[in-house]
Amino acid sequence: MFKYCGYAGQVLEVDLTRLKAIPKPLDAVLVRGYLGGAGFCSRVLYDEIGPRTRPLGPENVLIIATGPLTGTLFPQASRHVVAAKSPLTDIWGEAHAAGHWGAELKFAGFDAIIVRGRSPKPVYLWIDDGRVEIRSARGLWGKDVYEADEMLREEVGDGWCTKMLYIGQAGENLVRFAAVMNDLDRAAARTGMGAVMGSKRLKAIAVRGSKDIPIADDRGYMELMDELRVKMLADPFTQGRADYGTPSLVELMNEIGRLPTRNYETGVFEHAEEIGGKLIRRKYLVKPRADFACLQRCGRYTCVPAGPYAYIGGSPEYETLSCVGSKCGISNVESILYAHHLCNRYGIDTCSLGGTIAWAMECYERGILTDEETGGIELKFGNHEAMVKLVGMIAFREGFGDLLAEGSYRAAQKIGRGSKKYVMAIKKQEIAGQDGRAQKSMGLGNATAARGADHLYAFPVLDEVGFEKAIKERFGARYLPEIGEKLNPRYKGLMVKECEDFAVVVESVGVCKYGTMIPPTFYYRDVLRALNATTGMGLTERELRRTGERIVNLNRMFNVRHGIRRRDDTLPERLLKEPSPEGPPKGHVVELDYMLDEYYRLRGWDPKTGLPAPKKLRALGLDFTIKHLPKRGRPSR
Amino acid sequence: MPYLYGDPIKCTGCRICELYCALFHERALNPKKARLRVVRAEPAIDKPVACHQCADPPCAKVCPADAITRSIKLDLVTVDLTKCMGCGACVEACPFGAIWLHLESKKAIKCDLCKVCVPRCPTGALSVATSEKIADQKRLDLVNRWKPVMLECVQTPR
Repeated sequence: MFKYCGYAGQVLEVDLTRLKAIPKPLDAVLVRGYLGGAGFCSRVLYDEIGPRTRPLGPENVLIIATGPLTGTLFPQASRHVVAAKSPLTDIWGEAHAAGHWGAELKFAGFDAIIVRGRSPKPVYLWIDDGRVEIRSARGLWGKDVYEADEMLREEVGDGWCTKMLYIGQAGENLVRFAAVMNDLDRAAARTGMGAVMGSKRLKAIAVRGSKDIPIADDRGYMELMDELRVKMLADPFTQGRADYGTPSLVELMNEIGRLPTRNYETGVFEHAEEIGGKLIRRKYLVKPRADFACLQRCGRYTCVPAGPYAYIGGSPEYETLSCVGSKCGISNVESILYAHHLCNRYGIDTCSLGGTIAWAMECYERGILTDEETGGIELKFGNHEAMVKLVGMIAFREGFGDLLAEGSYRAAQKIGRGSKKYVMAIKKQEIAGQDGRAQKSMGLGNATAARGADHLYAFPVLDEVGFEKAIKERFGARYLPEIGEKLNPRYKGLMVKECEDFAVVVESVGVCKYGTMIPPTFYYRDVLRALNATTGMGLTERELRRTGERIVNLNRMFNVRHGIRRRDDTLPERLLKEPSPEGPPKGHVVELDYMLDEYYRLRGWDPKTGLPAPKKLRALGLDFTIKHLPKRGRPSR
Repeated sequence: MPYLYGDPIKCTGCRICELYCALFHERALNPKKARLRVVRAEPAIDKPVACHQCADPPCAKVCPADAITRSIKLDLVTVDLTKCMGCGACVEACPFGAIWLHLESKKAIKCDLCKVCVPRCPTGALSVATSEKIADQKRLDLVNRWKPVMLECVQTPR
């Protein structure tokens, strides 16, 4: 029995070079300090890999981890994290997904899987209730996610109970923004974790389990979960999410001028309604489908019944609709739905895919890219046929797709000719559907996120549509009204810092940011109550907040070792210098330096270099990282 | 004869019912110990399956230990665990896969209509229904579907 309840108590350590899989006990001291999930990964990877690790080399370490609340009754407790050094950003890489796989892993007796080495031949893992087998994936290699799912089910001889996690062809072909997929349509998409899995020649992990997740306080547990469930369902946001999912954000973002259009030329898309949530619900929705223990059910199935873009499968989120749609100037909604479906099959991050194609389109329109280079594809904004064609070409690295499979940052380096100016990436990763000019906190959050451009690391959404009550609760009334104004850079450093600290806690315990960040239903107090009732750790709110700060600082130190400084916490020139041309943010740019100063001050990081102060690191129990600060930043003796 | 009905249209497949069921009956979080199952099939099918509390239950007929009976008083099919010998004949006989053997005790378990899951389903997909109620609803659905056509055929005030 593991010291704390809520955990399965075991970690599966897989050495693919030697084709060995050995269950090891989970480290109780480690989970006390880092909880699990993202926190667990941050510590293990910090200890095991560093600047010399090649992201696609056998020395990189791939971790898939759940949190103590994954698989429990906490609303939306369905999350797992995939982490490694990123082949896209060359720094800290992590991606999160929901579905039923994470919960099943815990029922099978494991909290996490650590994958090292590289298999000589393609393999997959079969975890059957604690028993582990490394099997040949010879027939599976080269198959897309949907095909692999069906074949695997036949091979392991179990119908619908087994849960699968896999990569598609994009991961196999080392596309730098390949995703790790699970349960057909769920994606741990960002930072190219699929390419890392592909580099290890690990095609899939099939899991089935029937073990209990023990609960510490089994008397009060049901009552507490009832209370949290009622609170979640009572939030007016929940019904909207259930009805429309995130696609309805297309209309909302367009209204506030934050819908990136034609590679961030503007934040207002004239065809927003043609690709928006209302239309998708009316014409293409099959039904909402929830992930494990999810009350919000923003996941859904859609179907295009006929025509060149016919399919049935998971529905795109807002990010996909904006990145593949408005960002590429595309108004043909069926083509976006289909491109999303192809991305799920091939295992591609739709955010980076859309960002890269939008960059190529702008370069083409400006004459930087020629027909000769694109292989005759007319890459104009709005050309949906070209976009759909490129999805396959990128996944298989065919022709022009081979260049784009490197991501926009690397592609621009390769072709030069001033194309770098149009790369909308931060720390080499493409920005998702977020324009910081229309919401300053999002601009800052994207610049500071540990895994490169990322709206979710901080997910500062409370100033988006006026959650004044939550802002008051979380940050204090004295910062109102400025902190709640999306175009005002004041106090956004505070907001982003606090949101980052809480977000990593959310991702470490294994629950979703819906319900915690937006709608802001649960904060530290509720998460803490659930955590203590489930695990019996007896944590205090102060400890939990410190844990969040510890994980953020450890991620920062991981990046500091890779040379990340203040100069890297920046945004593309366009967002800093070109004012937004229309809509509510007209005339606005991101006042990044002002916000960064506040952010670094609150973090206890050096305002000039962005390096964490040794004092701060020591206070957070991160003494072991101090030796990795560059010489000038180290304390003098 | 009431039984636990799961509506496949409303069900989203979150499996909260399984967790609550196992928690209530076994004080453990483990969907495999639940007395009902949500079948998730592709594409887009989610169906909660539980005992239909049949009038003439085949599981009772084949039980060699006579452990399964239909209780008239409770209006339920019940399993007498002291008699059950864990042979699994009932599992073979049930046309719904709604009875199976417990992972550890190896005795037959099935929905006992405790209703813990019903109010906790976030979409209201679970209900305690009778065949009359369900048939009623189906008739109403049919009429609603035909309403536009029917209205064309009748005189309505203009």
